[in-house]
Amino acid sequence: MIELLAQASTGVEFNVAQNIAWAITSAIMLFSAFKVVTTGNVVHAALYLVIVLAGAAALFILLGSDFVGATQVLVYIGAIIVLFLFGIMLTKAQLGDDDSVQKEQRSMGALVGVLLMVVMSFALIDSFGDEELVFGDPEPVEYVPTEVAISDLPTPVIEAIGIVNTEGTITITQAQFDNLDPEVQRRVPGAEVFGNNKQIADAIFSQYIVPFEAVSVLLLAALIGAVVVARKE
Amino acid sequence: MMLNQFLLLAAALFCMGVYGVLTRRNGVMVLMSVELILNAVNINLVAFGAFQDNIQGDVFAVFVIAVAAAEVGVGLAMVLLMYRNRRSIDFSEVDLLRG
Repeated sequence: MIELLAQASTGVEFNVAQNIAWAITSAIMLFSAFKVVTTGNVVHAALYLVIVLAGAAALFILLGSDFVGATQVLVYIGAIIVLFLFGIMLTKAQLGDDDSVQKEQRSMGALVGVLLMVVMSFALIDSFGDEELVFGDPEPVEYVPTEVAISDLPTPVIEAIGIVNTEGTITITQAQFDNLDPEVQRRVPGAEVFGNNKQIADAIFSQYIVPFEAVSVLLLAALIGAVVVARKE
Repeated sequence: MMLNQFLLLAAALFCMGVYGVLTRRNGVMVLMSVELILNAVNINLVAFGAFQDNIQGDVFAVFVIAVAAAEVGVGLAMVLLMYRNRRSIDFSEVDLLRG
């Protein structure tokens, strides 16, 4: 906590490109989300929902979670939206408009939404007012010492280790590897970047294996349940 | 980037979802608003995961996406059943449990 506060006060560098990407994405998302809940046309609402979901995927990638972003695109935009469109078509929902919402109900809904927003923004600003997202830590690199021809090594690696002759083969030891600069490390043959996707796979199939299996059972139950509920007698 | 940029955006999406659930009468539209709420939660999870530099946020976001898929499947099946029985998917007409 103290470390984070110190970083915030010393001013982590302000990345303009990231902030512009965030601003454009969030503006589009807010507009589309507003249209989803207010537009009268059901099909338009589904298409605006696509924009919101795509914006969320963009935010995930912006936050460095490319796997979640890809999953979002595949599952939400690829499958759930199609389900929604099927639902709209099969129920022949008043394709014209859904404007029969009573005025009173609408204003009460708006009141609840605005109050919720005020309370949540107050709580968020109060508790996370000056917390910065830091993307400083490089992804961990794993290395298995292997014998490689010196001519295959990239120039920065040769320079960093200080190899003089250019003939024959060399096995870079773990100790030599650990002394290298992180940027050079990932160019050594045999080094493997332990990136975001690998970390997620590692977590799901070790620490979270029980929830993972539970989700698979849940999906099966939902599949059977949906078929049983929706089929004709 | 500030952490709050993402949290406040997610809060705004969440509130719009709540507004949609409260005011929409079309069953499919209510389910869409629920999707907005679930997405707001996912943005929060991933933002906190990036903030604390651990992977648990991402893992839980993936689980939430899977559960949301199951929820939409069952929810739409129920809406279809309601349409078949009543020729309408207006949630305000479903008041059998009203005291």
